[in-house]
Amino acid sequence: MIKKRKIPPAEIPTASMADIAFLLLLFFLVATVIDVDTGIGLTLPEYVEEIEEVQVSKERMAAILINENGDVLVDGAPTSVFKIKDNLKPRILSKIELPNNKKLIVSVKTDRRTNYNIYIQALDQVKEAYFEVRDEYANAQHGNRFNDLRIEQQDEIKEKVPIIISIAEPEAVQK
Amino acid sequence: MRFEKKRAGTKTEIPTASMPDIVFMLLLFFMVTTTLREVDVLVDYKLPEAKAIEKIENKRLVSYIWVGKDKRMQVNDSLVKLEEIQSIMYAKRQELPNIIVSLRIDKGSDMGLVTDIQQELRKAFCLRVNYSATIKI
Repeated sequence: MIKKRKIPPAEIPTASMADIAFLLLLFFLVATVIDVDTGIGLTLPEYVEEIEEVQVSKERMAAILINENGDVLVDGAPTSVFKIKDNLKPRILSKIELPNNKKLIVSVKTDRRTNYNIYIQALDQVKEAYFEVRDEYANAQHGNRFNDLRIEQQDEIKEKVPIIISIAEPEAVQK
Repeated sequence: MRFEKKRAGTKTEIPTASMPDIVFMLLLFFMVTTTLREVDVLVDYKLPEAKAIEKIENKRLVSYIWVGKDKRMQVNDSLVKLEEIQSIMYAKRQELPNIIVSLRIDKGSDMGLVTDIQQELRKAFCLRVNYSATIKI
């Protein structure tokens, strides 16, 4: 009698299957972008029925006016939107050591027909000026960028360089 | 006389070792294709670009107002009128006292409209706003 040769059972190797799945999982984990909200933050003033006028000394104020054509006035002098930052930076820097009630106030005022994009560009310039001053001050004080500092150090710098942006009260429209 | 059925010598099982992997793949597929709590945006808008932008750390606090190219406004899932914003946002603020309002306004809008919305928000005591913008490279 001839002995039949046993045929080994046919199998697909499954040991590496898990690795393939993990690789895929990793790929999607790395490649996924959960969309984060980014934008320019601002705190609006509280709503009041009657506006009381507060006198602020002229050198404390940086008044930015933007008209409907996108022309910009900073303290009465015509300039370009992209120069607002350079204009404000030295003024913020010079007021670092002053007490809080003497720091710079940036006021942004627009016409009703001003384009929103230009307003955002102007606000962006103001924010950028402040951020750069904060970074420079942080570098001088602690030798590091603002974002890399500890929370207490950040608070200290926020105290020294507060961002004060005033959005001008809208005036009644003449119809 | 005995009949015997002829059988194949090999086993006829389906390999089940890879079953969990298939399940994982399916799980992955659905994880990837799912978008979390998508709001149907009914207005057409294009955000402005800016450089000095911040991330909103706490997404739970954020509530959106969309303003489209055609000046239509949307809050939550529906289009609203300017006068309605105050009451809607006030109700939202009562639920979440430190609410952040993210303004997703089309970059071609007029400031008049933006100012009007801001005035409504101020009346509703929603004072923390964020002008949504994409990063400029």
